[in-house]
Amino acid sequence: MKTTIKTLLALTLGMALFSCDESTDPQPVLPLEATLVEDLAAPNDVIDRQTGTILEERPFVYFSLEQNAQVSESEDWDLAFKGTTIRVNAAKNVSAALVTGIFDQINEVPTSASFATDTDSELAIPTGGGNGWYNYNPAANTITPIPGRVILVKSSAGNYSKMEILSYYKGNPPMAEVDPFTTPSAHYTFRYVIQPNGTQIF
Amino acid sequence: MFRINLIKIVFSFSLSLLASLSFAEGEVKVIDQNGQPIVHALVQVGKQKPIPVDAEGAISLADLVGQESILIFAHGYETRTLSPEDCEGLDQIVLRTKESALEEVVVSATRTDRSVEDLPMPVTVLGKEKIQQTGGIRLSEVLREQTGLQISSDHGAGLQMQGLDSDYILILLDGEPLIGRTAGTFDLDRMSVSNIERIEILRGPSSAIYGSEAMAGVINIITKTGVQPKTVNLGLRHRSFNSWNPFVELGVRNDSWQVDGLYDYFLTDGFDLTPDVVGQTQNPYQSQTAQLKVRGKLSQKLELSLFGRAYLEKADGEMETNAGSLDASRISIANALQDFNFNPSLRFKPNEKWLVSLRGMSSWYSTESDMRFASSGEDFDQQDFDQFYHRTELQTDFKADEENLLTLGLGQITETVEATRYDGKNRFDAAYAFLQHQWNPGEKINVVSGLRADLHSEYGSRLSPKVSAQYKFSPNFSTQVSIGSGFKAPDFRQLLLNFNNAASGYYVFGALLAEESLAQLQSQGLISQVLIQPETFGDLDAETSWAINGGFRWNPDPRFRVQVNAYRNQIENLIETAPIARLNSGQNVFSYFNVRSVVTQGAEIDLGYTFREYLRFSLGYAFLDTRDLDVLDQIDAGEVFKRNAQNITELVARSDYGGLFNRSRHSGNVKMNYRENLTGIDFALRGIYRGRFGFADLNGNLILDDPSEYAPGWMSVNLTASKQLSNGIQLEIGGTNLLNTATPNQPNNPGRVLFAGIQLPLFNE
Repeated sequence: MKTTIKTLLALTLGMALFSCDESTDPQPVLPLEATLVEDLAAPNDVIDRQTGTILEERPFVYFSLEQNAQVSESEDWDLAFKGTTIRVNAAKNVSAALVTGIFDQINEVPTSASFATDTDSELAIPTGGGNGWYNYNPAANTITPIPGRVILVKSSAGNYSKMEILSYYKGNPPMAEVDPFTTPSAHYTFRYVIQPNGTQIF
Repeated sequence: MFRINLIKIVFSFSLSLLASLSFAEGEVKVIDQNGQPIVHALVQVGKQKPIPVDAEGAISLADLVGQESILIFAHGYETRTLSPEDCEGLDQIVLRTKESALEEVVVSATRTDRSVEDLPMPVTVLGKEKIQQTGGIRLSEVLREQTGLQISSDHGAGLQMQGLDSDYILILLDGEPLIGRTAGTFDLDRMSVSNIERIEILRGPSSAIYGSEAMAGVINIITKTGVQPKTVNLGLRHRSFNSWNPFVELGVRNDSWQVDGLYDYFLTDGFDLTPDVVGQTQNPYQSQTAQLKVRGKLSQKLELSLFGRAYLEKADGEMETNAGSLDASRISIANALQDFNFNPSLRFKPNEKWLVSLRGMSSWYSTESDMRFASSGEDFDQQDFDQFYHRTELQTDFKADEENLLTLGLGQITETVEATRYDGKNRFDAAYAFLQHQWNPGEKINVVSGLRADLHSEYGSRLSPKVSAQYKFSPNFSTQVSIGSGFKAPDFRQLLLNFNNAASGYYVFGALLAEESLAQLQSQGLISQVLIQPETFGDLDAETSWAINGGFRWNPDPRFRVQVNAYRNQIENLIETAPIARLNSGQNVFSYFNVRSVVTQGAEIDLGYTFREYLRFSLGYAFLDTRDLDVLDQIDAGEVFKRNAQNITELVARSDYGGLFNRSRHSGNVKMNYRENLTGIDFALRGIYRGRFGFADLNGNLILDDPSEYAPGWMSVNLTASKQLSNGIQLEIGGTNLLNTATPNQPNNPGRVLFAGIQLPLFNE
């Protein structure tokens, strides 16, 4: 019995070594960890509710997934946030796709995912309730990230990442505690995983 | 409770004092109002076994000797209680035909007079007494106490029946439809209770005789008609929140003419459940109702009736825009509503076999909303809405023989609407015909079948069949079953809306406007992508349903009644908004489509028990199960997710799904009526329970699937005490929601309301 296990072990080790030898670019496979970004504030323009005209225009907030940091517009940003709008950096060929599933269970970029970048007429992550990343609940007046909606982004460096927006409200409160009139909004909490090796596996 | 018991003790004690005399020898006869003996009557002395009368309706006086009260009852007759003193020297006891049996002729179920006992469909009749016991001033306050009915707060007090919203319930006033809905809701608070004689509640689809809207059921409000030659009644009711309701009823009649009038005024300060937010939950408002009914016999065979009604309402309020921010500003609101009805009709009855009715019905409904900045008086928003509805209908009833009654109806409808949010003046035309056969092949069985065809200028045609049957196993037990189809035509909003939300930049177009409006936006270069091809626009179909209702009525004993009805409604083609195009701004353009399918099913049970003529109990229970079939499909496909309290995403399972929002799975009521005989005060104590219901999506997936999305169940305890004085003056005092239970997710519950009222018959001869 014991010998059988030993033999098997040796065989397996040998196979593993053999396959390692075969690989042209040996790299230690590190488990990818999700990065949590909390309360990224990206206030919307001030809009006159009656006429719809913009009273005060506010800047987009630029974010680099590669650096996990807020950056300036001139740097290599991946995503830009303002209100409920999220843009991708078309100038750097950043593209995004929307998929449905549980974040932790999405282990690779699905073949069905269709990546697009922003154009003058259309955003890769469409705005409007139910279209892109959020639902608007007219009864409660709240913005909730669509549960199960995962955004895949191909970054400015060409790396794939998966991202899930958790909350639009400051402090990532449970939705039951959100009062649309008093809880500060346009504060993004999201988590993402970026695969630095250029593959489509997370 | 304690007080009532004490009164009972005093009462029985005084009875025993009075019962010192015994009866004379001989017999006493139990007879009806025509002097005919009631041979099936039973007489019960105290708690002894009831004794049947003999074949002449007589009973020996010797049997009645005792010191306790005597109960005389017979099926179909009012039960009487006599003290031994009352019986002294009596040789006959008159039992009146049960008023319910007399009164409970239902018009709305078949459009012909038909006794409720013979109806093969589920119907509830609320008489004057039951209406008055609720202490309600507006119609919503009466209906909310009935089994299986809920009042929801959505642009007014909307009724919910068999799990369906106000949009799908037809409201009739003396048999003619009432119009004027906001976002589909007919506001029941527009109807004053002061002039209502009775209310018929018909459950299940009745599109086979009424056409559109009669999908969940029909409410028919029947106004009072004076029975005395001259009537003048004054009334005044007061309640919490500085609400006042004075009214006057006038009536004059002779052998051939009859005129009834009503003027009713209502004033309230409204109430506020959220004092920290600008604007009240219910704004202060005042309303006036004036009504005139004239009915006269032009000849022995021809009857004319004219009905006119005017309703005026004014409400004021305020609100705050951009609340909490620096540019918050107060807006003052002034709303006005007018509703006029004029219904002339002719009724020609040449002989016993034929009845021909020609009815006209015209209704003008308009609302104005004026919103201004409180500081500057500048316009914030102005909205007008004007609707006109006319219907001409010819109905012929032919009683071929005792077994067959045929009804043929032909009608025409013209409807126009002009509103701020609609372009120009819009007109719809419709025509319809319906045929109904009432067949009574024997004592035990009857069948009502009907078919209606509707032709409409905007959404095409529709056929609505219905068959109902009743089988009487015995006079005390009958079963009913009906299968029918219902529909609701697309409304003006769904066809004509032209709405641009400037603040967030989206557009909503009615189905008829969508193609043209989209082309216009495209020519302005505003559209980035068309999501649904324009060829499919404009074909909005009616929302349709199939339903089955089945149940039984059982009177195991003259004092005990049971009524049960179970139902299932399967509704297709529900109309919802869906995006048709995306704007450059990223916002959407919406229009209306037939998209959803839902099922509502449940059972409703009413039990009533009369212990004594002065003590009655009733119990009502309603079970309701609703589901959106498309949501179920999505759940089955693993496409619906939710977030837990830690904002972690999980898959939604079928067992998590709670069905449609604002539906209580369980609801019910317990009622006790007690007449205190010494003082003549009637007490009506009611507990109205509404089980938990989903109020809003909180976890982001827009469906009801999380425990936090439910509002808790609650009980409203209501008590009314009323007394009629010998001179006819009627007094009432009471309260609703006496435990002052707050229900934050039900904005139509103001908390405890106390009321008092008086009615003075000034002239009644």
